[in-house]
Amino acid sequence: MISKDIDVAVIGSGPAGLAAAINAKEAGAENVTILERAEQPGGLLHQCVHNGYGLTYFNEDLTGPEYARRFIEKAMDLRVDIELESMVIDLSPDKELVCSSKYGLKKLQPRAIVLAMGCRERTRQQILIPGFNPSGIMTAGTAQRYVTCEGYIPGKEVVILGSGDVGMIMARRLTLEGVKVKAVVEILPYIGGLIRNEVQCLGDFNIPVYLSHTVTNIHGQQRIEGVSVSKVNKNFEPIEGTEFRIDCDLLLTSVGLIPENELSLKAGVKIDPVTGGPIVNENMESNVSGIFAGGNVVHVNDLVDNVSLESQISGTRAAEYALGKTLPSVRRINLKAGENIRYVVPQTIDVGKDVTIYMRVREPREKVRLGIGSIYSENLRVVKPSEMLKAKITLEQLREIKGEVSEIEVSCVKRG
Amino acid sequence: MTKKIEIRCIKCPLGCLAEIAIHDENNVLDVANTQCKDGKGYVIAEFKSPVRVLTATVLTKSGSSKLLPVKTNRPIHKTRLLDCMDFISKVRVGPPIRMGQVIVSNILNLGADLVSTDELKN
Repeated sequence: MISKDIDVAVIGSGPAGLAAAINAKEAGAENVTILERAEQPGGLLHQCVHNGYGLTYFNEDLTGPEYARRFIEKAMDLRVDIELESMVIDLSPDKELVCSSKYGLKKLQPRAIVLAMGCRERTRQQILIPGFNPSGIMTAGTAQRYVTCEGYIPGKEVVILGSGDVGMIMARRLTLEGVKVKAVVEILPYIGGLIRNEVQCLGDFNIPVYLSHTVTNIHGQQRIEGVSVSKVNKNFEPIEGTEFRIDCDLLLTSVGLIPENELSLKAGVKIDPVTGGPIVNENMESNVSGIFAGGNVVHVNDLVDNVSLESQISGTRAAEYALGKTLPSVRRINLKAGENIRYVVPQTIDVGKDVTIYMRVREPREKVRLGIGSIYSENLRVVKPSEMLKAKITLEQLREIKGEVSEIEVSCVKRG
Repeated sequence: MTKKIEIRCIKCPLGCLAEIAIHDENNVLDVANTQCKDGKGYVIAEFKSPVRVLTATVLTKSGSSKLLPVKTNRPIHKTRLLDCMDFISKVRVGPPIRMGQVIVSNILNLGADLVSTDELKN
């Protein structure tokens, strides 16, 4: 039997899923269900015990668990049905879900779906480091779970490959827990994560940082005993003769996050090859009618606050869809990533609705002008790939787009 | 004696490397190389008293999870973070604990309480 009485089903109860479900309820959807595979709602926020969350959303400095708790409580107050230990294992284009739960397999066919599965860490296997495959190599997020949830310290001397935020957060966490952080090795000529993490996680503890370097060999057969590190040239190729060894019993990788879209693909959702997430419109709706998406499943964010804000839109629009209240589209405009823009989300917008668009640049630049066609212009002191750009476009600005235009370009170039 | 020290500003992605001229160890004479007022303010505050909120976990004796996440309810001086961690490593707690509950009051006489940032159920 297929259960068909759900208005909006949300897959995942991390910050994206919770925000989407709350807004779906508030927009009038009666039956809103979150399907969560873990034993508790909140997703990754539980292991992110550090602060820095909520600065823009709540104007408060919260830790991950505190940020999660606010949304969990609100969802529970609104009677969102949170089904734990329920893993969605199949999703079809006509929105039929198969869910594995404590009570066996369940089939649901909600009126609308919000994809909120978040992202996964890129692993060592995906970046092809030569050498042996001993124990003691894991992603920074795995180590974070060990240290902050399981109470297990996975090594005594650590090298961290990659300077993404999770890697830097773990450099500080492990230092505080008494582990010697011997090096953070970054292939790019600049740090990959936020500046405040660079200062407060690495700088505060004088952790050695090797920019334009990478790990070129892994030593040890049973357990990792050390890594070789080499300087790289402009093409990121190791420079011969620059190799040196650092002894360690733990190597953490913090080398990027990838939106988790296996289910989306099963449903026929089209994926943007740059973001790795669904191509969405201003409603955060994918190409499959009634399937919406929000948060890191769409594109990897640097701040949870933005995940919440973006997912609220998916929740609201999914509820409107389920209730048959979706506003008709006026005219579609594609947003094209132009000079020094890596991607734009949403990829298409409608001239009939104001919209917030999120962008990432390709490379760091100073004194730039962010331009969206001829309708939006903003001068920025500095842009970096690690810091997402955000622009609010109003209805008045959208009205300036001429009738024959179907695509506008976003660019971020030097002023002058 | 006048000397110069460098502090990285974290107020925006620009991350200016500010140069502070100091006289007699702690009198700020001048801040150079910042590009905004906010940054200047941050850099002076960071020079006078670099403080951080410490977040950590404490072991539980029983209850719904092995660890309880905690934080200092006020920022503490960054040179005392590791001392606090030493102290925190000896703390054990048991359920029930609600979010925001004081776990250690006035930790190491630093003027901040260590409070729970999650709940611990039976």
